[in-house]
Amino acid sequence: MKTPNGLECNDRVKIAFRVNGKPMELEVRPWQSALDALRDELGLTGAKEGCGIGECGACTIIVDGNAVNSCLMLAPQLDGRSVETIEGLGSGDSLHALQEAFLAHGAVQCGFCTPGVLLSAKALLDRNPRPDRDEIVEALSGNLCRCTGYQQRTSPRKR
Amino acid sequence: MKEHAQTAVGVNATRVGARSRLLGRVQFAADMRMDGAVTVKALRSDRHHALIVDLDTSAAEKEPGCLAVFTFKDIPGRNRLGIINKDQRLLAEEKVRCVGDPIALVVGETPDAAEAALGKIRIRYQDLPAVFDPEEALRPGAPQIHEEGNLLIRKVVKRGNPEGAFQQADLIVERVYTTPHVEHAYIEPDAGLAYIDGDGTVVVYASTQNPHYDQKDVASLLDLDEDHVRVIQTATGGGFGSKLDMNVQGFVALAAYLLGRPARMVYSREEAFVATAKRHPLKITYKSGAMSDGRLIAADVRIVGDTGAYASYGMAVATRAAVHATGPYEVPNIFIESTFAYTNNPMAGAMRGFGVPQLAFAHESQMDILAGELGLSPLEIRMRNALRIGSTTPTGQQLTASVGIGKCLRAIAPYYEESLRHDQDACSAFSRRGRGLGAMMYGIGNTGMQNPSTAQIELSREGRITLFTGAADIGQGSCTVLRQLAAEVLRLPPERIEMVAADTQRTTSAGATSASRQTYISGNAVLDAAAQLADVLLSEAALIMKVDRNDLVLEDGVVVSRADPEKSVSFERIAKRAHRTGIPLKWDGYFDPETVPLDPETGAGKPYATYAFACHMVEVEVDTSSGEVRVLHVAAAHDVGKAINPDSIRGQINSGVAMGIGFALMEEYHPGATESMKDYHIPTCADVPEVAAIIVEDPEPSGPFGAKGVGEPALIPTAPAIANAIADALGVRTFDLPANLERVLRASTTAKPC
Repeated sequence: MKTPNGLECNDRVKIAFRVNGKPMELEVRPWQSALDALRDELGLTGAKEGCGIGECGACTIIVDGNAVNSCLMLAPQLDGRSVETIEGLGSGDSLHALQEAFLAHGAVQCGFCTPGVLLSAKALLDRNPRPDRDEIVEALSGNLCRCTGYQQRTSPRKR
Repeated sequence: MKEHAQTAVGVNATRVGARSRLLGRVQFAADMRMDGAVTVKALRSDRHHALIVDLDTSAAEKEPGCLAVFTFKDIPGRNRLGIINKDQRLLAEEKVRCVGDPIALVVGETPDAAEAALGKIRIRYQDLPAVFDPEEALRPGAPQIHEEGNLLIRKVVKRGNPEGAFQQADLIVERVYTTPHVEHAYIEPDAGLAYIDGDGTVVVYASTQNPHYDQKDVASLLDLDEDHVRVIQTATGGGFGSKLDMNVQGFVALAAYLLGRPARMVYSREEAFVATAKRHPLKITYKSGAMSDGRLIAADVRIVGDTGAYASYGMAVATRAAVHATGPYEVPNIFIESTFAYTNNPMAGAMRGFGVPQLAFAHESQMDILAGELGLSPLEIRMRNALRIGSTTPTGQQLTASVGIGKCLRAIAPYYEESLRHDQDACSAFSRRGRGLGAMMYGIGNTGMQNPSTAQIELSREGRITLFTGAADIGQGSCTVLRQLAAEVLRLPPERIEMVAADTQRTTSAGATSASRQTYISGNAVLDAAAQLADVLLSEAALIMKVDRNDLVLEDGVVVSRADPEKSVSFERIAKRAHRTGIPLKWDGYFDPETVPLDPETGAGKPYATYAFACHMVEVEVDTSSGEVRVLHVAAAHDVGKAINPDSIRGQINSGVAMGIGFALMEEYHPGATESMKDYHIPTCADVPEVAAIIVEDPEPSGPFGAKGVGEPALIPTAPAIANAIADALGVRTFDLPANLERVLRASTTAKPC
């Protein structure tokens, strides 16, 4: 089976992009998801697969400033882009202000959805440092959570 | 120690593992990598009920990268699983009983190879008649799902003289309620990894709520001694009851054992939907008898449950549903019958609340109907009937302490009254507002049976303290709470205690993370162990310091003299001395709540040592042109006995409310049709308003520092409160959950005018 641009399924596509500020070159398969490329090729397992169809938001990463569901993005589409993952938030063992705020407000329980929520929140705050509740709800409504509820992340987000 | 103010309990101690979760570093099972690991995939039934006539795996085995295809014939031990009834097969034998039944396991070098091989298995079925309704399943001539018949359990609880009481009642209300299959929809799909370690032990890492149970069933499947199986709980992304069953554990263990290579299995969301347990759909026929003053005098409740193809926790759900049928109210004359049957639907098992959320929908709807007929306010009828100290439950148990339902109702009253004030102005051509109450009681721990927990505390020679618990923290926070309890006894900051949890080789069983039991039961086991250590620390320090032991207290990692606070001795010094003198440095704790088994005829007994109580108030706005219901306000009061970690409790309440909104308005799993999150919707942050969480502390004398539990109670009152709020808004009631767009729109056609 060939892709429309003539690639075979098991062909490799060379891509170059930045991950958490570092330039990266990678060979990926044409149909591989960005999520699988990050997890399986780069070992960045902070982004999770919760549904594989863009419903749950556990795979959220930031691409060129926008929060995206990496399960719905093809790995070759990462070419030339700048990607932020949870591994780039905070440095070493010290937490990013957003992570500190989550910690202070009890916004992390099982932690499976947490990386995705943090990145959706970061993409929002990078663009709009003082969002109101409606803007927060809109930005985070694509990140499902079943353990913690939503209040700890939608109301106290004040840096 | 009594004169100390509490410093480790009642405070928002930092959650164990929170930082690694925020940094995205914590490893869930799907994140684990191991050299040489193979991928396991399951072939599952697409038939509801069928004989397997032929299974041809030869083409699959020849597929490049396919290492093996296993069927039930390859299982070395007993091909049976199940927490209560051993009626599940790891791999189907002669027949399949539902869609999703596992039939064969494919093991591939890579996920792609395993997938390709899976498609090459040829299977021929002979379809059998199937049954999807539990009442039909119990009729003579119904298709037989198991050899022992389709009846799983019939449980009766009776007390007093219900027939006579109904004759005296001023008002009788009888209605039928139904609830759907509900999917747990934890955000982390099931996953696991197994390998054989150096000494031949089968090690299974899994996302699980009960590693010690998994160990038993894996050992039985592989015909190994239990000590040759080690189950380690990985970080677990929610469970809500479904990770109490064996999901991937047996599959990865079998593949690793037979091939001698690490084996990995990760469910897709679709597989998690088709293969794991659901909430039991119930049909509840509820007849209430009341006097004109609102006093309940009789209840006759008939519950029919569908446990699907396998029992899982069905017997526990049936029993708990019966015991909780009258909610947090005193009803002197009762007849409750709970009948659960096998069908060819998906297996139904434990889900947050074990049948109580379904019963609460029924009993709370009944309360509002009675109140309406009698001209009482919903708050007033609940207050008049609320259990109190000295009240007797349906099983004849007299409540002696910590009956906080009255306090919860009183805590909610101001919110309810406030809501009454601001809804009339919101009534318009296409919009109605209403408010509703939901109340509940919930017995902590397993029903009328022993369900002990154990724990250990160890003092290292360097004076460091480690707490060992078998309790699986699945996100609810048991590790954090248990550590706070130990820290309070030992007078240390909680962070100074190391935690070892949910590893069958390093910890002993704490029982399942279910039934809201870990704070109360494992908490008491931890206190038992910690108290022994505290005792030794004080005795040893007295010898070292040559002072009266009664003069000593534990303080921040040292033992200090009260008379002369300058005099102290470190835990390290005590540990070294104790080690020299041969005093053991590890102490066992144990706790089993005091229960009395239910009488098989009458249901009389003491099913639980303590109960949690709660009341929620919600205000909704109903769009009568679309059937959409918006939840505007929620106030949730919970009697938890004692809040060990208030923020954790608020987290549980917030998530319970969210899940309750889903149960009330949108969640319905249709067997054979619902595939994934594309057609199964759970609430997002846009569906959930701010929740006013109110913590009520009516201390339980037998609880750790008075604590009970909150995990399941958090969910239970929300859906009934929403159903009552919709009825209040429209003047028309929905007797079937969820109150989805279609049902609410239908009800809206006869809505009361503004």
